Amino acid sequence: MNQPLILIIEDEESLRRFLIPTLSGQQYQVLSAATAAEGLAMARTHNPDLVLLDLGLPDRDGMSVLKDLRAWSRKPVVILSARNQERDKVAALDQGADDYLAKPFGAAELLARIRVALRHTLSADVADPVICSGGLRIDLERREISQGGRPVKLTALEYRLLEALVRRQGKVATHSQLLSEVWGPGGEGNTHYLRIYMAMLRKKLEVDPTRPRHFITEPNVGYRLNLDASSD
Amino acid sequence: MNAPLRPILVALGSEARALRLIQAGFRLARERSVPWIAVHVDMGGGQITEDAEQAQVWLQEAQRLGAEIRIVRAPTLAQGLTEATRGTHAQALLLGRSRDRWPWARVGHSTADELQRRGLDTAIEVLDDPGDAAGGNQPPLGFGAMVGMLSVLGACSGLAWLVPREGNIALVLPVYLAAVTFIAHRWGQGLAVLASVLSTLLYSFLLETPRFSRGAAQWPNLLFFLAMLLAAQAVIGLLHRLRAQAREVQRREMHTASLYLLGRALARCRTPEEVGQTASEHIRRVFKVEACLLLPKVGTWKAVPPPSLDPGLPPPEDLLPRLSVEERLGDPLEPLAFGPTYCLSLTGTDRSEGVLQVLPRDPAGLPPGTWELLKAFAVQIALALERLRWLEEARKAQIESETERMRSSLLGAIGHDLRTPLAAIHGAAGSLLLPGQLSEPTRRDLLTMIQDESERLAHLLGNLLDLTRLESGAIQVQKEWQPLEEVVGSALGRMEKRQGGLPIHVDLPEALPLVPLDAALIEQLLVNLLTNAQRHAPGEAIDLRAWDESGCIHLEVADRGPGIPEGFEQRIFDKFFRLPGAGEGGVGLGLAICRAIAQSHGGTILAGNRPGGGSRFTVTLPLDGTPPEPPEAADSVFPGGAEPTLPGGAL
Repeated sequence: MNQPLILIIEDEESLRRFLIPTLSGQQYQVLSAATAAEGLAMARTHNPDLVLLDLGLPDRDGMSVLKDLRAWSRKPVVILSARNQERDKVAALDQGADDYLAKPFGAAELLARIRVALRHTLSADVADPVICSGGLRIDLERREISQGGRPVKLTALEYRLLEALVRRQGKVATHSQLLSEVWGPGGEGNTHYLRIYMAMLRKKLEVDPTRPRHFITEPNVGYRLNLDASSD
Repeated sequence: MNAPLRPILVALGSEARALRLIQAGFRLARERSVPWIAVHVDMGGGQITEDAEQAQVWLQEAQRLGAEIRIVRAPTLAQGLTEATRGTHAQALLLGRSRDRWPWARVGHSTADELQRRGLDTAIEVLDDPGDAAGGNQPPLGFGAMVGMLSVLGACSGLAWLVPREGNIALVLPVYLAAVTFIAHRWGQGLAVLASVLSTLLYSFLLETPRFSRGAAQWPNLLFFLAMLLAAQAVIGLLHRLRAQAREVQRREMHTASLYLLGRALARCRTPEEVGQTASEHIRRVFKVEACLLLPKVGTWKAVPPPSLDPGLPPPEDLLPRLSVEERLGDPLEPLAFGPTYCLSLTGTDRSEGVLQVLPRDPAGLPPGTWELLKAFAVQIALALERLRWLEEARKAQIESETERMRSSLLGAIGHDLRTPLAAIHGAAGSLLLPGQLSEPTRRDLLTMIQDESERLAHLLGNLLDLTRLESGAIQVQKEWQPLEEVVGSALGRMEKRQGGLPIHVDLPEALPLVPLDAALIEQLLVNLLTNAQRHAPGEAIDLRAWDESGCIHLEVADRGPGIPEGFEQRIFDKFFRLPGAGEGGVGLGLAICRAIAQSHGGTILAGNRPGGGSRFTVTLPLDGTPPEPPEAADSVFPGGAEPTLPGGAL
C-alpha cells in the first residue's frame, strides 16, 4: 500500500514547521495549507487519507470547513483545537470529525491519534472481531467478553455501549453520539444514563475502576476506548 | 414699522402666580414672534429680602424660557414699570392683579390704572388669578335661583317679624345681611344685588313702623341698603379668595406629597425595571394616566414595565435628539404628543436616560395644571435612573481597576516564572545547534529539558488562562449529574500520564450519589490539589477520599508533607501566594484556581492540618437541584456467548 497522504490545514507557521517533518519522518506523505480555501482546494485535488484541521483559521470557521469536507469525503479528519474549547470539540466531533488534539500536544500523542484514525478507515472492512488489550478480551463475533481470563456478563445496554465504543476503535465518541447509538433517538438529554452505565462497565471490566485503563473519560466531551493499554 | 420687534414686558413680583405670568408672557411672545423681557421692580432699595430672593427665582425661570431679565429700582411699582416700559418700547405689558386691596379700592387705584394714566403707548394686560376667574364664573340666573332667593328672603322677613319691632334695626340688619351673603355665595352677585334691594324694600314696607308707610325712601333706609350691598360684596370677595387659596394650598400639598412619595419609592429601587414599575404605579395613581418608561437599547426601546403604550415610536437614535430639540425650541409648557401618547425626555444631569411615555385615559389629553407636576416626576425618575447608571459605572470602574491591579501584580509575579523555562529552552536549543558533536546522552538530556520546560510553560499559561476566565465569568459552568468516580478517574489518569504511577490511595464509597458538577473543572481542581500535595510531600502517599454528608459531597485530598503554617489557611488560596520557604515550582495559582472552581460550583474549599502531620484540603460541593431519574431497570442480563439476539427496541 502507498504511504498515507496527510493534509495539514493550519495557519500557524511554527506548528506546520513542527508537523511536517514529524509526519514525514514517520513515512507519511504530507501536504500543508495555511488557509481554509487553500486547504479545501488541496483536499479536492489530492484526496488525502487524513486531514489535520485547525479550528481557528484566519479566513473561515474551521467548523464550516469540516462541513464542506464531510459533504463529499468520509476520510478521517482530526481536529487541532486550543485548550478549553470543549463546546467546539464536541460540535466538531458531532459534525463528523474523527478525533481531536488539544494544543499543545506532543509528537507521540499526535502520531498515536493519526494511527488510530487511519487504522479505522484502512481496516474498516476487515475489522478484527477479537480485541485484546491489557487483560481485556472482547470477541464481538461470539459476544464473549472476559477480563483477566474470567468471563464477564454484561446487560444488553452495557453490551451495546461497549459495542459502540469498540466500533470506534480508540477514537473518541461524544456523549450525544453514544446516547443516540445506545438509547436511540430521544436519549440525547440523559447523559447521566451514559455515565451510570459507563461506571458499571468500568466496574466489570477495569481492574481498578477509579484508575481506568480502557474506558477513558474525555471531560465534557465523551469517552474513548483505549485499546493499547499495557497489561495490568 | 419696527413694531413687530417691540418686546413683550412681563412684570414679576414675588408671588406664586408669577409662574402663570411667565407662561403667559412666553406664549404671547411666541404667538407674536417677538422677544420678551421679564422685569422686576425693586422697591426695597436693593436689600436682599425673602421677596427679592423669590423674585430672583422667577426671573431665572423666565430666563430659562428665553426671556431677557431686567431689574428696575423705583419707589413705586407704577413708576418702575413706566420706566421699564418706556426704556424697552414694549408693545404690551403683562402684570398680575394686585390682590391686597379691597374690592372698592380696585376701581381706579390699581397699578394698571395708574400706568394707564401715565399715557403709555403700550397695551396693558392684567392677568387675573385663577381664583378670581372662578369667582367670575357666575352660576346662571335661573328660575330655581330666583325662587330660592325669594324663599330665603321670605324666611328672613318671617324671622324679623318675630323680633320686637320698635326701632330694632340693629337686630334685623344681621339677619338680612346673612341672607344676602348666603345668596351671593350660592347664586352669585347679580341676585345678591337684587336681594339687597328687595330686603331694603321688605324692611321698609313690612317691618318699619308705621307699616306700609311711604317713608320707605327715607335716607336711613337708603343707607341700610348701601351698607348691605357693600358688606355682601366684601364677604363674597373674601370668600372667593379664601377658597382659591385653600384650593391652591391643597393642590401644592398634593404635589409635594406625591413628589415626596415618588422620591422615597425611587430611592429604594435597585434596577431600572424597578424604577419603571414604581414610576408607572405612582403616575397612574396621581395623574390617572397609563405610563411606562422607555429605555434606549441599541436601535430600539425597552419598555418598563412592558408593553410600550404606543409601539410605533421612532427608534431612540431619532427620538432622543428630537426630544432634546423640542425641549429647547418647542413649547416647554406643552408635552410632545406621539399618537395618543405624550413623551417626556428623562433628562438627568448630563444626558437623557430615556423617555417617559404617558397615555391619558381622556382622549382630550392631560388634565390642565398637571403638566408641570409630571415634569417634576420625570426629573425624579431621570435622577433615579442616573443614580443606577452611575452605580453600575462605578462598579465597572472598580472591577476594571481591580483587574488592572491584578494584571500588574500578575506581570510582576510571572515575569520570573515565564523567563526561567524560556531561558532553559533557548539555551538548550542553542547548544543543540552549535557545530561540533555532542554526545548522544547530552543531546537527549538537552532535548528532554526542552520538552519538560515547555510543558512547564504550557502548564503555567493554562493556569493563568483558567484563572482569568474563571474570575471574569467567561467560563460557563456546565453542571451535569455524574458519578464522582468518573471525574476522580480522569484526574488520576491525567496525573499518571504526566508523572507516571503515583502513590495515591483512593477511598470512594460505593453508594455515593450522583453529583452535579462540571467534569472538566472538577478534574482540574483535583489535579491541582494532587499536584500540590505531591509537590509538598514528594514520594509520600496521598489520600483521596469522598463522603456524602448533609446534602453535600465532600472531597478530601490529604498528604503527609510539612503541613500549613498557622495563619496561612486562607492566604494560600490567594493568587500568587507562595508559602515562605516553599521551593521551586508552582507560581501560586493552582490553589487560587481550586477556590475559583469550588466557588463557581456554589461550594467551598478549606485547608487545614491533618492529625498526625501533613495538610488536607476539603472541597464541599452542594447536591442542589433534583437528581435525574435513574435509568430504567428493564435491562436484562445478556449472557455472554449464549443468545446472539439483542433485545430489539431502544429504551
